[in-house]
Amino acid sequence: MIEAIIAGLTALLTPQAMLFMLIGVVYGLVIGILPGLGGVVAMALLLPFTYGFETAATLALLLGAHIATIWGDSVTSILFSVPGSAKGLALCFDGYPMTQKGQAKRALAASATGALLGGIIGAIFLALCIPLIRPVILALGPSEYLMMALWGLTVIATFSEGSLMKGLTASVLGVLVAFIGMDVVTATPRFTFGSEFLMEGISFPVAMIGLFAVSEMMKLAIKGTPIVDRSLVKEESTVWQGVCDGFSHWWLVVRSSLLGLWIGVLPGVGASVAGLAAYAQAVQTSKTPERFGKGAVEGVIAPDATMGANEGGGLMPTLAFGIPGGESMAILLVAFIGLGVVPGPDMLTKNLDLVFSMVWIIVIANIAVTLIGLGITPWLARLPSLQANLMVPIVLAVCFVGAYATRGHIEDVVVAAVFGIVGYLMDKYRYSRANFVIGMVLAVMIERNLHISLTLYGKDFLLQRPIALAMLLFVLFTAALPFVRNWRRQRKQAAAAGVSAP
Amino acid sequence: MKNKIEQTRRKLVIAGAMAPLVLSLPGRVMAQSQAQAGGGYYKDKVIIINVAGGASGGHARFARLLQPYLQKHSGAREVRIVNMPGGGGLKAANHIWRVKPGSPEIFFGNVSTLILAPLAGSAGAQSFDPVKFHYLGRVTSEPRVLSVGGKSAIKSIQDVQKLKRPFVFPSQGTDEDFYTMAVLGDALGFKVKAVTGYEGNADTSLAVIKGDGDGHITGWSESLGPIRSGDKNPILMVTSQPSPDYPNIPIATNIVPAAKRATVQSMATILETHRSYIGPPNMEPQAIAAFRAAVSAALSDPELLAESKKTERLVSPMDGVTQQKRVTELAKTSASLAPILIAAVKDIQ
Repeated sequence: MIEAIIAGLTALLTPQAMLFMLIGVVYGLVIGILPGLGGVVAMALLLPFTYGFETAATLALLLGAHIATIWGDSVTSILFSVPGSAKGLALCFDGYPMTQKGQAKRALAASATGALLGGIIGAIFLALCIPLIRPVILALGPSEYLMMALWGLTVIATFSEGSLMKGLTASVLGVLVAFIGMDVVTATPRFTFGSEFLMEGISFPVAMIGLFAVSEMMKLAIKGTPIVDRSLVKEESTVWQGVCDGFSHWWLVVRSSLLGLWIGVLPGVGASVAGLAAYAQAVQTSKTPERFGKGAVEGVIAPDATMGANEGGGLMPTLAFGIPGGESMAILLVAFIGLGVVPGPDMLTKNLDLVFSMVWIIVIANIAVTLIGLGITPWLARLPSLQANLMVPIVLAVCFVGAYATRGHIEDVVVAAVFGIVGYLMDKYRYSRANFVIGMVLAVMIERNLHISLTLYGKDFLLQRPIALAMLLFVLFTAALPFVRNWRRQRKQAAAAGVSAP
Repeated sequence: MKNKIEQTRRKLVIAGAMAPLVLSLPGRVMAQSQAQAGGGYYKDKVIIINVAGGASGGHARFARLLQPYLQKHSGAREVRIVNMPGGGGLKAANHIWRVKPGSPEIFFGNVSTLILAPLAGSAGAQSFDPVKFHYLGRVTSEPRVLSVGGKSAIKSIQDVQKLKRPFVFPSQGTDEDFYTMAVLGDALGFKVKAVTGYEGNADTSLAVIKGDGDGHITGWSESLGPIRSGDKNPILMVTSQPSPDYPNIPIATNIVPAAKRATVQSMATILETHRSYIGPPNMEPQAIAAFRAAVSAALSDPELLAESKKTERLVSPMDGVTQQKRVTELAKTSASLAPILIAAVKDIQ
């Protein structure tokens, strides 16, 4: 194994491989920052240019680009509340409030550090878990995916401060929107009203662009002030502070990374769910959950660490079975075939050095992204202080181009605009936009996996799937944890008041 | 010395400026001659290929393989690939059915979906008539294979017939594999329990390897890896030609009772229409002729054939005229499939 680890690294240390990785990383950062475009698009556009080069160089280009999109996505979520793609959504919840509080540098640096540490932990665990990959994947199924989605749902309570009814209403609206299009079980059109466009459903990234970015720009245009008015809020945070945050919350990073690895192993669960689950986990295990949604740095670190580690996990089904865990991995599979490499069980024995090359690519690309990211953070952090009359047209133009680029439909531009108005009204009347998107992301996943579990195993499917049952108990435990803590705190306060009263 | 450096610099600048022009000349001459081979209809125009499925799907892989060669042989300024996922190709089919006359849009996807979905009474296929589309050329046709898990107790199609319970079939929905399984179950006399809702072939493949499902149907190339590694075991092929690599895998039409042979043969012929270019019903005759010529020329280009072999995206062309006749015949002869397909859809609703 040691030989394979060294051979994997040596294959990468060629000028071509290193150059390709650098190109991939810079290109991935740019693609990630553009709204509506993410890792899948980055890899799909690069694929035609990969034939005829060294195997390690090709993989460095593709994986480097994919990894760089993670932080690229986070940048716009943190600075403008514009998620670069579905997986950047969780960064809007606390990253944007940090920017509004004058802590953009800290948020960006914490996000980059979280992604770096998550990526490295994910890569290490990928290397350690190689002998366990196949049994682990074989042990998980639709019932376990269902539990993962249910865990994501528990975060709804976090964003329902003030009125649980309003929080639930927003989630139900999200669920209804997610059901527009072809039903995943019977392929029957739902809520399409005979429209060909609606048969494809409402694109999640487009809805997010509208709900978060367009509505924020509407608010700015109405107020006429920048996101951060430097005469009122000074940028007092530093890049170093953010880096330290990443390391000082090491236990949160480890937990989030293992979660990302776990979600990566579940094919089809997806990075958007990973971000939400990471956020839920951060809230539920925090001693001060009330700080979340208002600019808690943990809310930035956890999703990035999870998504960084998710890459390592996502590689597992692709390498172990030759079965892609998601769209980006399917593209990687096409590249493998072009390179004459056949993924599958032999990959973990006969091509182990190539597997370790990929582990090294994840590590080195993450370091490159973080170094570049930390280097440009001071300049990026100035952007939110641009005047509204300059910022609004630029961001809106990028948003609408991004909405169009997502699927190439002009109708999506209209959808983004409509969701912008919906988002503005929801924010004005205190209906959580975050709950809306959580409902939207998880609805189809829950429907799909509940249906499959019931059809395969019957009504008592939980009794037949012990791992799913254990996961359900864990979900219930973590969901109850904040309430238990709250109850204890109130009891302590009451006891203290009782002592001081006489 | 300074003058020399200046002269060298000038020469380099001139050479640099001329290089793209000189290098592009042979290509331009070739492109012009080849555009004439395609009738010149598409010369300097943009062609939009609406591909059924996502960017990483099987159709997209083939559409992108053909893209540069189609541009070369049609003389088009650009061949643009647009992914149109949804409804297993029905979304793209409905779109192309409704485009305005003179539109540069072409559909690339599975012809069998266009024939089977209306027969099954699928809600997404009520608006179009498969015979009225213009078929512009098949790129590839892979045999469909029914595989079971490598560790499954089921080792042959006879084991499936002897099962005392329904055969559990994980499926992504009402696609051609779902319909094929329904026809096989009817012809070979075993019950099928379709579990729909899976995300794609990768998902159903894992379900079969894990043992969550008994078996599933895919294109041959999609199952080749797991078959080679022993994760899956092929037990039946739906095709008219046996595989040279696996001659022992039985072919459906050879083992079904005589009374059911015509139905299964009809299904196998429909499946062989596979990944093709399809034009809208109002497509101009010159455009049809030019596109068919460009597809034929692209599919016989030695560079494409070499690339297709290297990347394991093997092509098996059928010209558009033959395909048009084939679809017209199939639409007439496949009516016997309708009750089986409708019953299968009803079962999952």
